[in-house]
Amino acid sequence: MKHIRHTNTLFHYDGPQVFEARDAIGGHYAAVLAPSDGVDDRYLVAGVNPERLRQFRSGVLDLRSLIVESEEDVRYLATVADGLDHPLTLERLSPSLMDEELLPDFDFVLHDDPADDYVLSEARARNNLILELAVNPPEAAEEHRIRMSTLAEMLLRVQAMIRHASRAVRKEHPADRRQPHHDMMDVVVPAAAGSFRIVLEAAVFPDLFGDSVLAKALQRIDALFRNTADPLETLEAARESRGHLAGAYLRLLRFLVDRRTGLRYSWAEPKSERTSHRSVLQAEAGPLVEVLSSVTDLGHEAVTLEGTFERFNRGSGAWGLLTTGGQRLGKVRDGGPSLDGLEVGGRYVFYCEEVIEEVDITGRESRTLYLNRHKPL
Amino acid sequence: MRYREPLPDGCPPDAAEEISTTWRVFRLARTNPPTDSDFRSQRAAKPSHRFRNVTECQARGLSVFTAQKDAARALKLPSQRARLLCRVQLEAGAGHIQQTGRPSHHTWWPLVEFDILARCAMEPS
Repeated sequence: MKHIRHTNTLFHYDGPQVFEARDAIGGHYAAVLAPSDGVDDRYLVAGVNPERLRQFRSGVLDLRSLIVESEEDVRYLATVADGLDHPLTLERLSPSLMDEELLPDFDFVLHDDPADDYVLSEARARNNLILELAVNPPEAAEEHRIRMSTLAEMLLRVQAMIRHASRAVRKEHPADRRQPHHDMMDVVVPAAAGSFRIVLEAAVFPDLFGDSVLAKALQRIDALFRNTADPLETLEAARESRGHLAGAYLRLLRFLVDRRTGLRYSWAEPKSERTSHRSVLQAEAGPLVEVLSSVTDLGHEAVTLEGTFERFNRGSGAWGLLTTGGQRLGKVRDGGPSLDGLEVGGRYVFYCEEVIEEVDITGRESRTLYLNRHKPL
Repeated sequence: MRYREPLPDGCPPDAAEEISTTWRVFRLARTNPPTDSDFRSQRAAKPSHRFRNVTECQARGLSVFTAQKDAARALKLPSQRARLLCRVQLEAGAGHIQQTGRPSHHTWWPLVEFDILARCAMEPS
């Protein structure tokens, strides 16, 4: 008896109409909702070739052809009794029972219009968000080459920006906190031909409706790259994203200046109508760094902590507060608020700013919390 | 606001738009003319079902398309083939709506006072 697991809904209307699934050994399946004959939903299921499934996702192969012309000349029925988050048992369908009623019409395709570029085409084919990065450091001028450290650092810095942008999205939109915290991207095409391009894919699929925090995060990042020829306009955009996102942006720009390279990126989701393209030229990065660096607290993020006051070292200015999320340690700057009079064991609100002091090559950030003011709870 | 079906807290979500202008949406109906049962949510149709990757809020809304061609596309699926294409005109007071997928799939949370059937017209598919 074969079992499959739902992996991705491809067409939704009052519930999943078409989805893809995998079996225990990685085999690919396509499923389409059958006409109802009782209480539980039933799906017609066929094992399919991964490349043909990719063509169906891209809109170049219709569903009926995918199912009827599958490599394995066997179809199944799967009855959903416990929801699609449980394994589905496949019952082999006798060829005599395989009638027209169970099959979709000939020309059911997921997309009417062909994708007009590589990124959107890849996003559809993978049914996931795709981000393409391209850099042009000096070593890439003559041949398809990039320093390993440049490549590694660029990926880490871009990933850091995405992570901070995702956190900013979640902070502002409580509904998005329910989405899994997978802001990571995987490299799927390490070096696409042309310039030195890297293609990344979201590490997890978007939800049923194709929504992902990652896409909203990239929209925020797009705002920072909207007009990189104009440092003052970019500064305004960075102020809108004040905090760790703006800090990560500035660090990325400094990196580009240091490595004497520009950066281009493009991204699309499966549901996008077009690919979003942004870039910063090498010549633009320097003036941007100059203007953004002139604002001292651009990368500082406001953090409010509630908890029990644990300790204070008058000499170093270090303090500790026990919050529901664990112990938080911070500092008081010279000229900062006095902690005299605070009682150890008392409960307080600490209004702080968090500063990322340095980022090492592994992408690990060293953060410091500076206390601005406090009040008793 | 009283919705056609009981909704959980925080539903419709903040991202949903309160309908204040005219929208033309498409839904698939079982009969001509359509009946109230054509505008039941997934939850109303399957009270004890567990929906994967769909919040309870979405399960209590109605699937509609804003593009006629996308609704017509759904008619090619075996479970929807016998259905008919119905155009509904949404106006102020119709409730909330949110795009919830591709290509033009939206979830609509109708208000109880909104007379859907009076604003529904069948379309050739």
